[in-house]
Amino acid sequence: MHSLSQLKEYLPFLIPLFLIQLGLMIAALVHIFRHKNYRIGNRVLWVILAVALNTIGPVLYFTIGRGED
Amino acid sequence: MVIFMRGFLAFTKKEFLEQLRTYKWLIFLAVFFLFGLMSPLLAKLTPDILSSMDMGGIQLNLPEPTVMDAYSQYFKNMTQMGVVVVLLVFGSILSNELIKGTLVNILAKGMSRTAVLLSKYTAAVILWSAGFLLSAATNYGYTVYLFKNASVPNLMFSMFCLWLFGCFIIALILLSSVAAAGSFGGLILSAVTLIILLMVNIFPKAEKFNPVTLVSKNTALLNGTNKAGDLYLTVAMTTTLIAVCIITAVLLFKKKQI
Amino acid sequence: MAILELDKVSKSFGAVKVIGDLSFQVPDHSVFGFIGKNGAGKTTTMKMILGFLQQDSGVIHVCGEKVSYGNTKANRNIGYLPDVPEFYGYMNPKEYLKLCGEITGLKKEIIQSRTKELLELVGLDGVNRRIHGFSRGMKQRLGIAQALLNEPKLLICDEPTSALDPMGRKEILDILSLAKNKTTILFSTHILSDVERICDRIGVLNQGKLVLEGDVSDIKHKYRKDTVRVEVGKSFQPEKAADGLRKLTAVTNVRTDNRIIEIQVHNAEDSGADILAFLLKEAVPVIRYEIMEPSLENVFLQVVV
Repeated sequence: MHSLSQLKEYLPFLIPLFLIQLGLMIAALVHIFRHKNYRIGNRVLWVILAVALNTIGPVLYFTIGRGED
Repeated sequence: MVIFMRGFLAFTKKEFLEQLRTYKWLIFLAVFFLFGLMSPLLAKLTPDILSSMDMGGIQLNLPEPTVMDAYSQYFKNMTQMGVVVVLLVFGSILSNELIKGTLVNILAKGMSRTAVLLSKYTAAVILWSAGFLLSAATNYGYTVYLFKNASVPNLMFSMFCLWLFGCFIIALILLSSVAAAGSFGGLILSAVTLIILLMVNIFPKAEKFNPVTLVSKNTALLNGTNKAGDLYLTVAMTTTLIAVCIITAVLLFKKKQI
Repeated sequence: MAILELDKVSKSFGAVKVIGDLSFQVPDHSVFGFIGKNGAGKTTTMKMILGFLQQDSGVIHVCGEKVSYGNTKANRNIGYLPDVPEFYGYMNPKEYLKLCGEITGLKKEIIQSRTKELLELVGLDGVNRRIHGFSRGMKQRLGIAQALLNEPKLLICDEPTSALDPMGRKEILDILSLAKNKTTILFSTHILSDVERICDRIGVLNQGKLVLEGDVSDIKHKYRKDTVRVEVGKSFQPEKAADGLRKLTAVTNVRTDNRIIEIQVHNAEDSGADILAFLLKEAVPVIRYEIMEPSLENVFLQVVV
């Protein structure tokens, strides 16, 4: 199987992909836990979305869910 | 004029600070980087993914993916998800201020309303351009990496059409936000307008005049089905519409009760 | 010279006439209390002064300059504090004042020195947190700072104290008393005790018209209708004394209620001796004797109702 060499070929994709998704998730979680008020939804909902839906969850949180700053 | 420029510059600076501190900047650049990264990867992996699936014994014979596949994937992502992200990120830049009343103090200081709108437009277009350039550069780099070749015809023009369409959406958002009330009024009105424009394109005669054509012909431009000249009228039309949207927004905004 | 001049200003919303032929002047260096019930048209008037609303007829001048709707040029002479000022929550007070200063075109050094000065005045110096965590009172104080930033000749405050607790109200009134050395203040409110604390002139707005306008002490004097309030002992029937009191020359009216006798006179101090002599003669068991001061509240109720 050539999977190891294939994995190596895709590392330049996987590393930034992983880092950005992780970064967005952490940024969203930090913001969720530091604020009490959300425009839509509640804390539990946003934590679940931010963790379960990578990229989309944090993007939705920051664009629609984030309360007044 | 001096007063106008002063207000414009100060308020544009405020808009940039807002983008930075309300995480617009973060999501926008992250997401557009991901579009640039994912598109060539998905194009490359699609045959592998399909063939690894159990298709009930049917043997799929898929051709080796090409650079063209990578670009059509990129344009597909940008014109669908990309447009949604632009709407989400910029959808409430004006509605929010009108709902909260944050413009009252500013306008009471003699700030021109025209300058407020132009500042918002400028700052949003700059962020959009930055996200767009980042995604285009990332996409180019990764496409070269995976396909050893990234040259396709009309690429620059096709990219320009996509960028111009983004500028059109932002102008549309500003106009919708002045016209429609509520936190999401502007966002919803813009989305509805885009859907209507999309449906109008069913009629072939309307195509040339419809901004939506800028993001429906990208692949056709690359593979030669359409020539750049076919879209010149659409480009001119969209540029005019951007101006019309902004001017109408300014006129309505001047009459709006704050 | 009048800083603010309204001449026969009218405004209707649909069929409802909110302001009708409103005329008044606010002289230089005064604190003008603009009084009225909720919905009397105070905010509408202020928004017209700021050029945020268009009047149907009439003229408004600020510092001799005519105000026109949608054009906020005359606003450079005005500082405005909305009833609930809203800020950009992601900024700190200094950044917000810097933005305001840049919009008005102040020089960098002036913005810096004024910011320092004003944040001290409103008690927000050293607060470098972002505004989104501010309490209502803090926002109101920052609101005053931003309104005073361009050293306006006229400071317009729309109900600055009504949303605050007693502590916050006192702070705002103290700040406004300091500000009145530097600028003319137009101050709308329905809280009359606030008016009594800081205003020199008042205008009472009722149903879109000024029903009373003038100097606070003059008005109090003019509407002086002194009342003497006597509380009597349990064993005594107040009605027994009422008839005798009515016969006294200085007394205009007597009202009794349970153990209270309210005697209206022209001047409580001068006629006090007659009343006291009468009470003594009749051996009325007096528990309490007090002269009621005319309050703006009484005046307000007289002119509005």
